[in-house]
Amino acid sequence: MTSRSLTALCFGLALGTSLTTAALAQEKTLRVGMTAADIPRTLGQPDQGFEGNRFTGIPIYDSLTQWDLSKEKEPSILIPGVATEWKVSDADKTKWVFKLRPGVKFHDGSDFNADAVVWNVQKVLDKSAPHFDPSQVGVTASRMPTLRSARKIDDSTVELTTSEPDSFLPINLTNLFMASPAHWNAKLQAVPASVTDAAERAKQAWAAFAADPSGSGPFRVTRFVTRERLELAKNATYWDEKRRPKVDRVVLLPLPEANARTAALLGGQVDWIEAPSPDAIAQIKSRGFTIYQNAQPHVWPWQLSFVEGSPWLDKRVRHAANLCVNRGELKELLAGQMAEPKGTVGPTHPWWGNPKFDIKYDPAAAKKLMQEAGFSASKPLKVKVQTSASGSGQMQPIPMNEFVQQNLKDCFFDVELDVIEWNTLFTNWRQGAKDPSARGSNAINVSFAAMDPFFAMVRFTWTKAFPPVSNNWGYFGNDEFDKLIADARNTFDDKGRDAALAKLHARIVEEAPFVWIAHDVGPRAMSPKVKGVVQPQSWFIDIATMSLD
Amino acid sequence: MFLTLVRRVVYTIPILFGVSLVCFALVHIAPGDPLSSVLPPDASVDLQRMLRTIYGFDRSYPEQFGLWLWRAVQGDLGTSIASGRPVTLEVMKAVANTLRLAVVATAIGFFFGSLFGFVAGYFRDSLVDKAASGLAVLGVSVPHYWLGMVLVIVFSSQLGWLPATGAGPGGSDEWAWDWEHFSHMLLPALTMSVIPMGIVARTVRALVADILSQDFVTGLRAKGLTEVGVFRHVVKNAAPTALAVMGLQLGYLLGGSILIETVFSWPGTGFLLNSAIFQRDLPLLQGTILVLALFFVVLNLAVDVLQSALDPRVQRS
Amino acid sequence: MAVGAEVPALDATVPTTPVAGYWTSVWRRLRRDPVAIAAALVLIAIVLMAIFAPYVAPADPYRSSMLRRLRPMGTPGFPLGSDELGRDMLTRLIYGARLSLFMGVTPVVLAFGIGSAIGIFAGYLGGRINTLVMRTIDVFYAFPSVLLAVALSGALGAGLGNAMLSLTIVFIPPIARVAEAVTTQMRSRDFVEAARASGAGALTIIRVHILGNVLGPIFVYATSLISVSMILASGLSFLGLGTRPPDPEWGLMLNTLRTAIYVQPWVAALPGLMIFITSISFNMLSDGLRSAMDVKQ
Repeated sequence: MTSRSLTALCFGLALGTSLTTAALAQEKTLRVGMTAADIPRTLGQPDQGFEGNRFTGIPIYDSLTQWDLSKEKEPSILIPGVATEWKVSDADKTKWVFKLRPGVKFHDGSDFNADAVVWNVQKVLDKSAPHFDPSQVGVTASRMPTLRSARKIDDSTVELTTSEPDSFLPINLTNLFMASPAHWNAKLQAVPASVTDAAERAKQAWAAFAADPSGSGPFRVTRFVTRERLELAKNATYWDEKRRPKVDRVVLLPLPEANARTAALLGGQVDWIEAPSPDAIAQIKSRGFTIYQNAQPHVWPWQLSFVEGSPWLDKRVRHAANLCVNRGELKELLAGQMAEPKGTVGPTHPWWGNPKFDIKYDPAAAKKLMQEAGFSASKPLKVKVQTSASGSGQMQPIPMNEFVQQNLKDCFFDVELDVIEWNTLFTNWRQGAKDPSARGSNAINVSFAAMDPFFAMVRFTWTKAFPPVSNNWGYFGNDEFDKLIADARNTFDDKGRDAALAKLHARIVEEAPFVWIAHDVGPRAMSPKVKGVVQPQSWFIDIATMSLD
Repeated sequence: MFLTLVRRVVYTIPILFGVSLVCFALVHIAPGDPLSSVLPPDASVDLQRMLRTIYGFDRSYPEQFGLWLWRAVQGDLGTSIASGRPVTLEVMKAVANTLRLAVVATAIGFFFGSLFGFVAGYFRDSLVDKAASGLAVLGVSVPHYWLGMVLVIVFSSQLGWLPATGAGPGGSDEWAWDWEHFSHMLLPALTMSVIPMGIVARTVRALVADILSQDFVTGLRAKGLTEVGVFRHVVKNAAPTALAVMGLQLGYLLGGSILIETVFSWPGTGFLLNSAIFQRDLPLLQGTILVLALFFVVLNLAVDVLQSALDPRVQRS
Repeated sequence: MAVGAEVPALDATVPTTPVAGYWTSVWRRLRRDPVAIAAALVLIAIVLMAIFAPYVAPADPYRSSMLRRLRPMGTPGFPLGSDELGRDMLTRLIYGARLSLFMGVTPVVLAFGIGSAIGIFAGYLGGRINTLVMRTIDVFYAFPSVLLAVALSGALGAGLGNAMLSLTIVFIPPIARVAEAVTTQMRSRDFVEAARASGAGALTIIRVHILGNVLGPIFVYATSLISVSMILASGLSFLGLGTRPPDPEWGLMLNTLRTAIYVQPWVAALPGLMIFITSISFNMLSDGLRSAMDVKQ
């Protein structure tokens, strides 16, 4: 080779390399450290709880309805997803008609239409469907308890049928993600012919689909290393212009150990970690990282027993307990990692309802109520609370319970704590206060998500939700509440339904079957390079609006 | 000798069967619902019953065991309930990752352990001996997972020299023996190596001291053999046992890596086990424990056979 | 972990006939070993501290105060700082000695008793019974100890009792193996053959001739397992499978103070230091015993 051509070659190579590196350098990659020990399932219905929905549900898939994740100061409400409007039939309240959004395409290029909706409903509800997947049933069916079937009316209209009139259906549908039937069928074709059993073929097709998923969301999966990393790339043709991603790639890493997560952030291995340990937050902030938090639809209460002989039967006692917790000081002790509750939802929420009982710290009023009820410093009221030492959503159970214990002592309560293992506590929650597993406790401390009406309110105040059917552990319920619930379930226009739910909530706060103590705030730590972060009042967060410097 | 070998191999078969039985029993004693990873606690009773039948948990235990064992022998360890992927694939991938880590950790441990042990044994009962033995004992006296955490904080959070977690910038799929990947392995391997280091040091020390104190060594020295010659002699005699111990340590690390892998999020068998235990993922748990125990049995067998071959004086029942 | 790596060579450690003076000479040699003495003294101090904890400790190990959490060493009222719930570290460390020593020593003691019994009988009786018993033991020995401990604890559930049980089960096979190996070697000795020929019963022979000779090496091996047991127990607590809060136990404290490393690193390191000191003392003492019992100097 002549020296001139050699120089040219070198120059060309150098230019090429620098261009490539420049191009690569331009590619923005957001790296996330999750608390889950494994990548949540990617085939449409995620596991690992709400963290799954957050990272392998909403980014990759759409649902008929979705939560509005764009506002920080207002509660997160239900908005259209890939369905533009929905209405229950006037003649038969168990039939709903959903109009679908036109022009939505799956990542593999196929169209989203009514057939796709029917297919997705069948995947968890129709045992005879070839694509029925038992492994997805568990996490989905319990969140849509009344949905029974779907029927195509035309390409952009679908009819959903419920087992009984249930106005909560649209809210439940945020949990049903739309996977691409065409892509799944392609996977089914690719299963070797030697596999003859239909169920086995379906299973393998779903496994292949999970490794190479196709939804219609703002991100699509590009690489999946099991148990280690999931790589997403932006979907530039996403139907919602406002949610077309500004980062090129997202990498999701499971980092279950709290210290490892913090170290990964501080060492620059990731840009964003979920749930940093509270003790590390000071260090994280001092190193220039940002902590995002916001009140979540999460309730951390004592759920009270209404069984005969319970000390909580007197409403004055229940009100006194609520007035005797110094939530402001508790927040300080938790380094600001909680929000102070006024009820199950807050005053700006559509379900607030303006209850006449104001939850605040007023020990004088509390003492007065207790004295009226016949208690005093020399004659305290004995109560026993069952709780756990740890657990998802339980925040810092022991110090928090001990704090409340100390607080209530001032108002003539003698609180005994029964600390057991988290899984056992969760199981006991279903058994009820009359069951021997309660071990004589008359209050139970289990935190819960409050995003949809059933999970937030109905299951604690409905006579049909008594144990073991659901979590009305304390057997709270009467005709009045049953009627309020039935009203809410049978009011089918959104505003009317929310108003009915507000009435229910107001009465719940007034009757106080809970001692409301805290809301979790879902802290996350991010590098200052990440911009456009909006943490809504929700368990979820929208990655599509974020950008990297 | 061939007959002994055959007999040993034949003896392992009932042991393997026993291992699989214990494995199955262990996993099924556990309280808690095996379907808890796919079934939230607030699911209806009907839903529970339906899933139970589909997953085969309504069959009797002997039937479940038989079915599982029959498939396992053919290489099918079932499907993980939580992830829906075949257990065999998951376990094999994890084993590969742990093996990489364990081999490096054992090598480091063997090197330093032999060094300390040799020095200690050579200068037996002197201050040097105490110092070297002390260093070695350090390794087995500290909770190594905790040491790992401290190292992470010092080298990752504070100094930023080494990554805190993971098995490489692109995941363990694209493993390569370059610095970028090795930097991920350094901290966990170092942490893991302290235990084999301690054991090997102890063993080598005892071996070296024993060999050196034997009469014929004095004889060799009297005959004019140089120290180098004595050194070589000691190494030749100590090697089989030392190597055997190293082999066994590799086996222990393979099976006992759960603590380190949890701290470092290293995607190996320990990490897998951790997930499986807390998700009560029965097929995955059974499969992982079985494969690990099998590896261990086979490794023990190999070490035994090798040792007998290398040193015919060693008698095994 | 270290379990089962070394079977002591009986020839070197035991004289051909049991000699009363043997143990005196062991004791004499031990006394001249400064490291072993130091280790023994440290251990005695720790044991005393554990026994007299209520008298020695300045505060209540369970009394917590969220306002005083994670204070540094030297804070008035908290000489060694306070933990993540505001409890005095010095007190918790002193009380922690109880549970930690208990978790370290008890499984080994129990396994020593059960394992020796199994091993000695199997070793003495020989033949098919030996094969049957030892093969069954081998099945459990086939599991690496950490794996077996975690799997057992995972199966039985968290808690002190269950952790004890699983650790005991983990240590029985190696001790039984050592006992069997040592007994088998002993059994073929001349004086034992003579005793059998003279018609003495098995139990008598074991009691008179064998026990005295084999218990020594087995005991030394068992003491080397104590530090392993302590660390395994703390590992189980780390994974959430061992002792439960709020009980003070060093391993559990290491676990719950994990995230406090960012706030008070020295305070968070203290339980690890205690485990380390205790472990290393047990190890050094065990080493010293082994040296002292080794006749060939």
